[in-house]
Order: sequence, then structure tokens, then C-alpha cells
Amino acid sequence: MPENEEQFAIRVKNVSKGFKIYYDKGASLKERLLFRGRDKYHERVVLKDISLDIKRGEVIGLIGHNGCGKSTLLKLMTKILYPDSGEIEVNGRVSSLLELGAGFHPDMSGRENIYTNASIFGLSKKEIDRRLDAIISFSELEEFIDNPVRTYSSGMYMRLAFSVAINVDADVLLIDEILAVGDTNFQAKCFNKLQEIKSNGTTIVIVSHSLNQIESICNRSIWIHDGGIKADGFPNDVHMDYLTFMSKLRQIKSREIEEESNAAKAEIAARKAAKEAKELARLEEERRREAARKRWGSRECSITNIYAGDLQGNDNRVIRVGDPIKFRIDYRVDIPIKDAVFGIGIFRADGMYVYGTNTRIENFKKFDLEKDGSFTIVLERYNMLPGKYIVGFSIEYGDGIPVDYWKTACEIETYSEVSDVGSVRLDHTWEFSQDGIEQ
Amino acid sequence: MFKEIYKYREMIYTMVRKDLRGRYKGSVLGFLWTFINPLLQLVVYYFVFSMILGNNIPKFYLYLFVGLIPWIFFSASLTGGSISIIAQKDLIKKIYFPREIIPISYVTSCFVNMLLSFVVVIAVVIFSGVMPSILGIICLPAIMLVEYLLCLGMALITSALTVYFRDLEHILGIVSMAWMYATPICYPASLVVEKLPERFVFLYNLNPMTPIVEAYRAVLYEGGIPRMETLLSATALGAVFLIIGIFVFRKLNRNFAEEL
Repeated sequence: MPENEEQFAIRVKNVSKGFKIYYDKGASLKERLLFRGRDKYHERVVLKDISLDIKRGEVIGLIGHNGCGKSTLLKLMTKILYPDSGEIEVNGRVSSLLELGAGFHPDMSGRENIYTNASIFGLSKKEIDRRLDAIISFSELEEFIDNPVRTYSSGMYMRLAFSVAINVDADVLLIDEILAVGDTNFQAKCFNKLQEIKSNGTTIVIVSHSLNQIESICNRSIWIHDGGIKADGFPNDVHMDYLTFMSKLRQIKSREIEEESNAAKAEIAARKAAKEAKELARLEEERRREAARKRWGSRECSITNIYAGDLQGNDNRVIRVGDPIKFRIDYRVDIPIKDAVFGIGIFRADGMYVYGTNTRIENFKKFDLEKDGSFTIVLERYNMLPGKYIVGFSIEYGDGIPVDYWKTACEIETYSEVSDVGSVRLDHTWEFSQDGIEQ
Repeated sequence: MFKEIYKYREMIYTMVRKDLRGRYKGSVLGFLWTFINPLLQLVVYYFVFSMILGNNIPKFYLYLFVGLIPWIFFSASLTGGSISIIAQKDLIKKIYFPREIIPISYVTSCFVNMLLSFVVVIAVVIFSGVMPSILGIICLPAIMLVEYLLCLGMALITSALTVYFRDLEHILGIVSMAWMYATPICYPASLVVEKLPERFVFLYNLNPMTPIVEAYRAVLYEGGIPRMETLLSATALGAVFLIIGIFVFRKLNRNFAEEL
């Protein structure tokens, strides 16, 4: 069914990819002939039998630790690399922001370089002419556009390059870790532009280490681990899963190093391998369980009790729109931790992220948790229109690794006597006058 | 494939322009080198083959020049074309476009250079008093097109192979020199037929540049039109090399990004 096929922007079917890592490669004739034995290599498999469908209009974040294969997957999608086996199908014009300013010539003017750069994306002269004004105005380089690019600062250079790439009007946009362009002002502009592109129905795939970036723009996150897909779903869920897993993995590794220095070396090697396999299996089991409950973390401390209700202390989880709500979260400390951060996140039943904040964002000092305690947060006016809301709480380390991140900690419902519509009530006042318009 | 290359035509255009503008950047005489360089080569070969070795070819300078300019185009495509992919490795590793664009752009820019040199060739032809026939002039673009296709075929082959085997770049320098002497540029082809044993003559005739140089010469030196069989064998050889080139390039270009 062709219509059915068309709804996918990218289809990855059983794709595997490995690289040959040469121990000592001779590239010249002499070396090839004399040292044939040296041409040994081992094949490092980067992607193992990955399958993945991306629908039109989806915005996907690819996450994973360094070397997990996420960038390779992106390069396969752009056809810079080709898979060893399997198939990749991409529908529509692709623009990749893997390399900004491809083909820029320092002696040519900004304007000429726009043509060069855009032509590499496969645009014709006419298509570039049509976009020229948009590109120049987006880059904010109107005054300098006819100066040679070598006179540009690196920020100006990147701005021009980004403007071209983002104005290609691709059907599929592939981005690799580049939202760090220019000053904060321009970054915000790029980000808004991405939102706009997203709302136009463009499919976007982003590789990034910034989980925050992904959460604020993507509607699906894919975690690549050791060449396979480990988790795939709602960004915030996947990210917590990822962060927890990574921190536990680190703990296992550091424990091993400790043991290694204590025991005899030969003996441990075998024991270590067996143990690591067992630990990993346990970890995987735990991970699945946590993902199902939507509660992640290393659990040195745990949330034990949640109070939600009015300011007087009456437990009440059904509230009127605009009323205040107070949460008190009790926690237990099993192992004291340093530099903790408390946070809250509110989601609508359909998954929309309504609001989130934490004590780090708001510049509180970090907390050292030594014994059981609690924290309280009051929302003065809960203005979300009637519906069901899921409120999560978190205790994390300063670097964002969850200690106890309980995404579905409590549920509240709102009602209203006024039937205003939308998602949120904005505080407002009306004024009326019938005196005619004053000149 | 051809459709995609057509879609990227603007890229070919900008790359050719960039190459032509960048070529003599920083030199005092700048673009004039396009004309001076072949003229100086002409002087050297004329000195060796006419003054020192001596021959009885009338208007030898014209005989030489008419063959030399197309040869420079071919040899640049062969040797320069071989490193064209490597020279653009940053582009290839980072961004997708049909890889054929690079050798096509390179050969096209050499071709434009040859067309510019033809301004000098025409001047020399007029100076020598040879009057090319109208029909011959009409044939000229066809000969150039055939040579372009041949050069493109060669550049596709050498550029793709050099990615995997870097020595080729240096080997091709010497191949190009030998190839020049295997082509009747400084001497008439009849001399080879006279002096070489028969089986070598067969090999000699396989050289795709021989009929091309002879065709140019028929128009610009003899003032006539190329013989039909010269044209046919030039076209056939050009087409064969182009097809091999396309095939080899297709086969090898998938792993460019990994090899570079």
C-alpha cells in the first residue's frame, strides 16, 4: 500500500554497520606489498540489526553515551555512509546540519557563499534566489553580506552557515549537536526557528548530549546503547531511564576497580566477567521494572510520602482552577548524599509537559541530605484548565542524575465553574468603554 | 543518477566558478597564466623538437600548439582529477551530495580553461594564415564534447581509485608524461607506423587521445574536416572510457567517507 508507505519519513530496516579498525594500515604501494601481514584489522560493529520507523512530522532525539552509534546512525540516514546489511529509506528532501558552512570560501562574499553552500544541499539557482532574503535576514548580517567571509568573526560565520542550512526547507532535517551556535540570543532564535519548522510538519532527528534540548523540542526519544535500541518513547521517561542506568553502571565499574586492587589479579578476571554479566542482567531487570513504574534513581534516598492539598493542611487532590495548592514531600535517607536538588514536574494526562522546575534552576544552594526530612512547594495559583494532571517529584544529584525521580508520584484533578477554553487560564482583566474612540 | 546530478547542477556551477577564481589567486599575473602557461610550454617543445632535433613539418609551431592545448586539458583531468576527491574530503565526510559532482566539476573547470586557451589558439591559427573551413569549425564543438566525455571518464576512474590507493597520484604523473609521448603531439602518427613493429601499432591506435588530437589538427592545422573514421573511433573510445568510469565510480563511491 503506497499511501501507507508514504507516512514514514525514515524507515530503517535491520541495519548493521561495522568499521574496519586497522592496527597498522599501509596506504601506499610499498607498505601494501612489503607488509601484507600488517593489514590486519578487527571489525568493530557499531550498529547491530537496528530497525526503526520514523513517521512524517515526528521530532526525534537520539541519545546515548559516546561511541554508542548514534552519530553513525545519523550518517547512515544522510547517505554519507552505507549500511553493511539492511536498508534505509528516506522520503523527501534531506538537509543535514552535520557540517555547517560546507564549501565556504573565505575570499568570497557572504552572499556568494550562500549560493555555494545552498547548492551543496541540492538547491537550484532559482530556489536559492527565492530564499536569499530570508537567509540574510535570519543571519542578521545585512551590513556585512557583501564582505568576504574571511573578515567575519567565528560567530558571524556560524550564523550565516546555520541560516542557510535551516532555510533549505527540507522534509527531513538531521542535526548533530550544533545548537550551540553564536550568542544566547541567536541560540534562542535558532531554537524558535526549529519549533517553527517542527510545526510545519518537518521531520527532525537530533543527536545531542543536552537532554534538556531534546526534551523541549522532541516528541520521541530513542536511546541507543551498544549498537541497539535500548529504549524508545516519551523523551522525559527515556532520559530518566538513561540517566539512572548510566549512574548505576558507573557504580558497578568503580566497585570493580576497588575489588581489583584488593584481590589477586588472575583470580578476579574470571570472577569479574561472570559477576559483571550477572550485575548487568540484574540492572537490566531493575531498569525494566523502573521504566514500567516510571520511577527511576539510585535510591540512596527515597520519597516516602506525599501530601497534596490546600494551604491549611487538608489533603485534597481535586481543586478549583486558580486555587493554590501545596505539596509536601517526605523522604527517607538511607545513605547520606551531598549536593542534592529537589524538583517538581507537572504533566497533563495526555503527556504534555506543563511545568517543571527544581532548586538548581532557581539557584538555591545545594542540599546535603543526612537524615530524613521533607520539602514543601506551594503553587499560588494552579491555573491549568480542568483535567487530570500527573505530578512528579525528584531528588537528584547536582549533575542531574536521579536519586529518586518519581514521575507519577501523585495525581490531581481540576474543575472550574467558568467554561473558558484552552489549556491554561491566563490572569486577565477586561475593560469596556462606549465613549467612542479618542483621537 | 543523472536526474540527481541534474538537480545538483547549481553545485557544479558554483564549484567550477570557485575553482577558476581560486586557481591563480595571489599570483601577480593572475588569470593571464591561463594563456601564458601553454605558450611557454609551446616555446620549450618548439625549441627541442624543431631547433635541436629538427624536423621538416611546415608551420611546426601551429602543428604543436593545436595538439598541445587539448593535451593539457586531458593531462590535467587525469592527474588533477585523481586528487579531486581527496581534496574535498571534508565535504565528503560531512555532507551528502552525489559524489560524481566533484570530478564533473573539476573536469568542467579544466574544460573552461581549455576554451579560454582556444582564444590564443585561434589567434595563432589566424597569424599562421591557415583558413579553417566552415564545416571544420562546425565539427570543432563535437570534437571538444567527445574529449570532454573521455576526460570525465578518466577523472571518474582515477579520482575513485586514488581514494583507496594514494600512490596512484604519483604514478599518474609519470603515466601522463609517457602518455604524452605515446600521442602524436610533437611528431606525426605516420612516424610511429613507419618505425614500430606491427603489433605495437595496434596498441598505439588504442590510445583514445590519438584520434582526438588528429581531429583537432585536421580542422585547425590542415584547414579541412576530420576523417569520418577518426571521429568515429574518438567517439567510441570516449564512450567506452566514460562507461567504465561511471561503473568504477559507482562501485567505489559507497565507502569514500570511511576511507578518507
